[in-house]
Amino acid sequence: MDVLANIYNGFHTALTLQNIYLCFIGCLWGTVVGVLPGIGPLAGITLLIPATFGLDATGSIIMLAGIYYGAMYGGSTTSILMNIPGESASVVTCIDGYQMTLKGRGGAALFISAWGSWIGGTLSVIGLMLLAPVLANFAMKFGPAEMFSVLLVAFILLGSLGTGSFFKTMPMIFLGLLIGAIGMDPLTATLRFTHGVKELYDGIGFLPVAMGLLGIGEVLSSTKESLVKIVHKVRIRELLPTREELRASWGPIFRGSGIGFFIGLLPGSAHILSSFVSYMVEKRLAQRPEEFGKGRIEGVAAPETANNAATGGAMIPFLGLGIPTGPPAAVMMIALLIHGIRPGPLLISQQPQLFWGLIASMYIGNLILVILNLPLVGIFVNLLRVPFRILFPIILLICLVGTYSVNSSIFELGVLLGFGVVGYIFRELKFDLPPFILAMILGNPMEVAFRQTLMRSGGSFSIFWESPIALTLIVVAGLLFLWNLFRSLKVFVVSWMKALEEG
Amino acid sequence: MTRERVGSLIFFAAGVYGLFFSLQLPVGKWNEPGPGVFPLALSSLLSLSGVLWFIQGKSKGSQEGKIDWGRILKNLMTPLQIAGLTAAFIVALQPVGYLAASFLYLLVLFFWVSRYRPWTALGLAALFGVGSWLFFERLLGVQLPAGLFPL
Repeated sequence: MDVLANIYNGFHTALTLQNIYLCFIGCLWGTVVGVLPGIGPLAGITLLIPATFGLDATGSIIMLAGIYYGAMYGGSTTSILMNIPGESASVVTCIDGYQMTLKGRGGAALFISAWGSWIGGTLSVIGLMLLAPVLANFAMKFGPAEMFSVLLVAFILLGSLGTGSFFKTMPMIFLGLLIGAIGMDPLTATLRFTHGVKELYDGIGFLPVAMGLLGIGEVLSSTKESLVKIVHKVRIRELLPTREELRASWGPIFRGSGIGFFIGLLPGSAHILSSFVSYMVEKRLAQRPEEFGKGRIEGVAAPETANNAATGGAMIPFLGLGIPTGPPAAVMMIALLIHGIRPGPLLISQQPQLFWGLIASMYIGNLILVILNLPLVGIFVNLLRVPFRILFPIILLICLVGTYSVNSSIFELGVLLGFGVVGYIFRELKFDLPPFILAMILGNPMEVAFRQTLMRSGGSFSIFWESPIALTLIVVAGLLFLWNLFRSLKVFVVSWMKALEEG
Repeated sequence: MTRERVGSLIFFAAGVYGLFFSLQLPVGKWNEPGPGVFPLALSSLLSLSGVLWFIQGKSKGSQEGKIDWGRILKNLMTPLQIAGLTAAFIVALQPVGYLAASFLYLLVLFFWVSRYRPWTALGLAALFGVGSWLFFERLLGVQLPAGLFPL
C-alpha cells in the first residue's frame, strides 16, 4: 500500500507541465542521439547536463533519464533501416532487423521493436519501483566496511563483464581511482597531486572529464569516418506487423524483459550484454534456429526489449546504493552531485519526490517514446541526412559552453580539451573508457570507506570478516578475481606456447 | 609495437608518477591510515599492471594488435586541427568574448576542417554562433564572457 501511495505522489510530481515537458525533451533528444551514429546516449546525456543548471534536481533527472532510455528506442531505427547500430546496444538488432527491411518488413520490425521496448521498459520500471526501496532499506544497515566491500565487488564485476579483458580493464579502473584522488584528501584536507595549482584543490571536475572523454574524444575519433549511407524509406501503413509476427514476439518480449532487467543490475555494459544474451536465448529456444540472421521477428523483439529492460535494472543500484554500475548512470550521478544530491540508501527517504517522480516519469516517458518512434519515425530517419561535418562543430561548442557554464573556468576548458585528446588516444588503443569514469566518481567514497573502517577497528582487518555482509562480498570478490586470473593465465599460457612454436 | 605495449607503457608511466608523489604523502598508521595509502596502493597496482601487460604483449603473435602507424598518422591531421582550433578558442574566449570567438571558431572549423565553401562556412558560422549565444545566454541564462562586444 505504501508503494501505491508513493507512486500516486510520484505521478503528482511527474504530471506537472514542466516535468512532462522535460520528460518529452529528454525522450526526444534521446531518440535523436540514439538514431545518430557517432553520438551515443552517454554523450547525449553529458551534452545536456548544462541545460539542467536552471532546473530543480527532480526535473533534471527526469530529463536525463529520458535521454537514457530514449536512446535505446532510437538506436534500433538505424539498425533496422540501414544496418548501422545507432548505439552499441542495438548492434544485435542489425542482424535480423535489416534482413526484415530487405524483405519489405522493415515497418513491422520497427513496430515490434518499439512495442517490445515499451513493454520491457515498463516492466523494468515496475521492478525498479518494487526493488529499489527494499535495497535502500537493506543498505541503511551498511557501515564503511560493507560500503567498501560493495564497491570492491562492483569494480571487480565491472572488470569481469566489461568489453575488454579483466586485466586490461583493471588498469583503467586503477587509473580512474588515482585521478579521482587528485585534490584535497576528504579526511585530512592534505593536498594530493596538485603541484601548487589552486584550481586542482577541489579535484578534477567530473563534468569536464566526462565531456572531454565522451564528447570531444568521440568527435576526434569520428571525424575520420565517412557518413554516406543508404536510407530505406518506410511508410506509416507498412508499420503494422501480421498476427503471426505479433504472436511470435510475445515470448521473446517477456523473456527479454526478465533477462534485461537482471543483467541491468550488473556493472558493465549491461545493455550490450543483455541484448546479446537475449538474442542467443531465443536462438537456442527456436524450433528453426538456422532462420536467425535471415529476418526472424524474434531476433528483433528479444534484444530490443532486453536493452530497454536493462535501463530499469541499472537504476536500482544507482538510486538505491549510490553506485552507478554503468556509464549513463555515472553521468546522471554527476548531474545530481552538481545539484547537491547524492544518490544512495538515504535518497528515497530524504528525497521521495525526486525518486517517485522519476519512477512515474519513466512510465510516462516510455509511452511518449512509443508515440515518437512509430508515427514520427520518418522524421528521425531524415536526421541521418544531416552531414556529420555540420554536427561535430555544434557538439564541440556544446561541450565547451557546457563546461564553462559550471564555474566559468578557463582551466576546466583546458581539462576538457586535455581529456578529449586522452579519450581519442584511448579509443585508438581500444581501451575501455566507462570503467575509468566510474572509478573516478566512486574513488573517493571507496577510499573514505576503507580508511573509516580501519579507524573504527583500530587498524584491524578482522572487521571485514566480522560483518557477514562484508565477508560475503569479499569472498565473492575474491572468487571473481581468481576466476578471472585463471581465465587470463590460460590464455597467457596458450599464447606463450604459440609464440614458442613460432620460434 | 602493439597496442598492449603502448598501453602498458602509459600505465607504467602513470604508476611511476603516482608512486613518486604518493611516497611524499603521509601513510599514517594502520588505525589511522593517512592520505598517502590509497594513492600508493593504486600506483603500485598500476605499475605492476603495466609490467604484466607488457610481458603479455610480448607473448602474443607479432601481428596481433599491431599498431598501424601509417594509418594513425594519416588520420591524425583532422583531430590535430580540431584540437588546435579548440585550444585557440579557449585562449581567446575571455579576452575576445563568446560571440566573436565562437563565430571565428565555427568559421574556421566549417571552412578548414569540414571543407565548406567560404560563403557557406560564413553562413553556418553566423547561424550557429549567434544561435548558440541566444540559446545559452538568453534562453538558459548561462553567463558567457562579453569580451570586446558587450551586449
